[in-house]
Amino acid sequence: MAAYVIRRLWQMIPTLAGVILLIFFLFNWVGGDPAQVLAGKISNPEQIANIRKQLGVDQPYWYQLWVFVQQVFTFDFGRSWSTNEEVSRILLTRVGPTLTIMVPVLVIETILAVAFAIMVAYVRGSLTDRAIMVACTTAMSISFLVYIIFAQWLFGFKLGWFPVQGWSESTWRNITHYAPLPVMLAIFVGLAPQLRLYRSFFLEEIHQDYVRTARAKGLTENTVMLKHVLRNALIPILTNVGIYLPGLFVGSFLLEVFFSVPGLGREIVTAVNRSDFPVIKAVTVYLAMLTMTINLLVDVAYKLVDPRVSFK
Amino acid sequence: MPPFAAPFAAAAVALCLLCAPAAASVAPKVLRMAFRTAEAGFDPQRVDDRYSVGVLENLFEPLLTYDYLARPVRLVPLVAEAVPQPEEGGTRYTFRLRPGILFADDPAFKGAPRELVAADVEYAIKRFRDPANRSPYGWLFEHKLEGLDALAEAAAQGARFDYGARIRGLEVRDRYTISFKLVEPDFNFLYLLAMPNVVPVAREVIEAYGADTHAHPVGTGPFVLREWVRRSKIVLERNPRHRGYELDPRFADPADEWDRRAIEALRGKRLPLLDRVEIYPIEEEQPRFLAFLNREHDLLDETPFAFIHQVLPGGRLAPSLKSRGVAVYREEQPEFTYDVFNMNDKVDGRDNPVGGYDAARVALRRAMVLGHDRDREITVLRKGQAIAAQSPVPPGVVGYDPAFRSTAQDHDPARAKALLDLAGYVDRDGDGWREQPDGSLLSIVYKYNAGSQESRQLAELWVKSMADIGIRLDAEAVQFVDLLKDKKAGRFVFAGSAWIADYPDAQNFLQLAYGANAGTSNEAHFRLPAFDALYRRSASLPDGPERSALYREMSRLLLAWAPWRLGVHRIFNHLQHPWVKGYKKHPILYTNFKYLDVDVAARAASAP
Repeated sequence: MAAYVIRRLWQMIPTLAGVILLIFFLFNWVGGDPAQVLAGKISNPEQIANIRKQLGVDQPYWYQLWVFVQQVFTFDFGRSWSTNEEVSRILLTRVGPTLTIMVPVLVIETILAVAFAIMVAYVRGSLTDRAIMVACTTAMSISFLVYIIFAQWLFGFKLGWFPVQGWSESTWRNITHYAPLPVMLAIFVGLAPQLRLYRSFFLEEIHQDYVRTARAKGLTENTVMLKHVLRNALIPILTNVGIYLPGLFVGSFLLEVFFSVPGLGREIVTAVNRSDFPVIKAVTVYLAMLTMTINLLVDVAYKLVDPRVSFK
Repeated sequence: MPPFAAPFAAAAVALCLLCAPAAASVAPKVLRMAFRTAEAGFDPQRVDDRYSVGVLENLFEPLLTYDYLARPVRLVPLVAEAVPQPEEGGTRYTFRLRPGILFADDPAFKGAPRELVAADVEYAIKRFRDPANRSPYGWLFEHKLEGLDALAEAAAQGARFDYGARIRGLEVRDRYTISFKLVEPDFNFLYLLAMPNVVPVAREVIEAYGADTHAHPVGTGPFVLREWVRRSKIVLERNPRHRGYELDPRFADPADEWDRRAIEALRGKRLPLLDRVEIYPIEEEQPRFLAFLNREHDLLDETPFAFIHQVLPGGRLAPSLKSRGVAVYREEQPEFTYDVFNMNDKVDGRDNPVGGYDAARVALRRAMVLGHDRDREITVLRKGQAIAAQSPVPPGVVGYDPAFRSTAQDHDPARAKALLDLAGYVDRDGDGWREQPDGSLLSIVYKYNAGSQESRQLAELWVKSMADIGIRLDAEAVQFVDLLKDKKAGRFVFAGSAWIADYPDAQNFLQLAYGANAGTSNEAHFRLPAFDALYRRSASLPDGPERSALYREMSRLLLAWAPWRLGVHRIFNHLQHPWVKGYKKHPILYTNFKYLDVDVAARAASAP
């Protein structure tokens, strides 16, 4: 296993190099000139040139790329071009609110989706199964934005069950006061596609020979479903959860904007709009690293879930 | 009363007496509101966005400011003792600061009170031209003060900006006196010194916080920055060092309801009255609107257009809001939107179909202006919350002439078609589109901001309006930064734009067409010697009939040569709950928290 992990870690280097190159060339060829924004509404070419010089975007491409590589390995991306705030501070202060929303979403959504999926898979073809599938399809066909606008109006304004928007310095107040509505919304919207997907995983397992054998041996339905079927279906579920994990740190831009959550998703979109390259670079590189690390951890977790899996 | 009740009654009275002052002291006056766009930071010389500047108004104090109630706006002294008279033909202005004004406490002052002195004003003005600060308002003092350009140029060559250098343009005569010597006469110079960015700062504070000055604004203003979660929450608290103000009602309009109410609420009181202000940047319209309706916020600045029919059905405040005591302040902002024709002959080396000054090109531009359905823009896209611009000078600024009218900017497709026919722009090949007088293809590209839904809708209206008069116009969405770059570099044919007043004088708008500003603020690259001569002459004159006549003449030239399609002056509707007192929107200053009050008891009583 150690050899496998070392090999996977080694493979991350070319992947990271590819990410660095991709971001760098996308920014320089597609991204706008940040000096134009920073120069204000009246500026002359000399001022623009001065700002470009200060930002270092007047340097040769190879030099800018080298600075970028140094930043990746020193974890120091400098300061935001638009607000002068340290990039590390931006990330540290924004990740907390994002995780306050997204961790409960992932945990609750996964538990509910697995529970409902195994239930509807068990009663496949019944009225309950069909009704839930129709409800899921309908729920999936409506835009997230519509849910947000409607729920904010209904639960926040009309019924007054939750504040319309806001965020506090107190984590407890955020969890009990500001986070519930966006969390519930995200769960509601995310549940339908997850439920459908996990149902298909369970259905695939239910028809396997080992399930028939288990039943023939006289095992109870609870043991068959919760011990054998669930455990075998966990591998694709784990893969799916692994895919979503990096998204935890980026958050949901729409939720953050509508509910005034000072999270990373909102920060990233603002950074892109303002051509704030240091922030874009830091977020993208950290996200790439996180994705690769989570993928590795998920692969290692396969072994824990299914002893038949071997590392080669 | 039973005998045993007397001690209880006495105890109750005593308790009430004890609690009354305590209750008053524990119920701070807090005002909450939203900004529709996030702030950038609070280093006065390093920001130019409306929202950051709106906060700066409360943290710092310029030499001059605007009277709260006077309309049209009127300059009054703030940290200066008086509004100075121009000297030496409008090239010198001398200020004496009021002694005893203190900066807010800060560790950079090492525990000692720090008095505002003339050198702080000098330092702040120099900061605008220090290239290291990348000041977006550096242009305010470019070619303005004697000797300042030379300092800036030396610093641009790589040397450190020499803040210690003495220059003729900024003469500190004693602890409290500073004299500005201008390169050429400028009778609008005093307006610059009333801008919330053009404020004295303490050098030791700026040097102590280095790159993080945005987070440490230390001024002499009535509030201090207590908390700042960037792009999420801004908290101001009353500055205990502040000397306090009183409302000056001398320039109020007795017939104005807002003036009357403000005077009633504030007269004789020591301002500011608010203990704390909480500002939440909320970009989305719905949460901003609902937060106000839900009483989470006390003010709603600029009611979103999406909700205008709910707030003002038929142009009147909705009964549901009126019954709750909500008031609406309708403001014509000192700004205008416009569409810019590139006046250069060539764009990227190719012939520019709309550029140039010959009769045919002028006719084409004027026909396009006549063909554009601005009425539809106002009624449909802007839901009636705009007025058609008759000249580039908006209401509320010096030089605005309400009588100035022209038919050159009306929507008149018949006249547009006739003009095109006359100039030779006719459909020669029968494909439904007009060709150029020489028979070549006439195709115009309109560039707009891809990130703005409003810009997209305006672009679609242009495409449709031009199709109606037979002109092929394609709309091209580009990133905002690229649009800025293209307009400055002249790499566009036709594009949308807007301008909001930096200071309340027509000059601030007419400079958008001054030839020397081509490639900077003059996005049309319009170069007309007659216009430039009038502009230069007007710049050397004080406000008066002669200068107003020049402004009118310049507006006429713009209508005749049509480098722009004049758009609209937008109208914004600001809502307040009944417990907000002293409110009156100022056309230049954005927040004015020092004049606001909150009736805490009324707010508590209104809770559902």
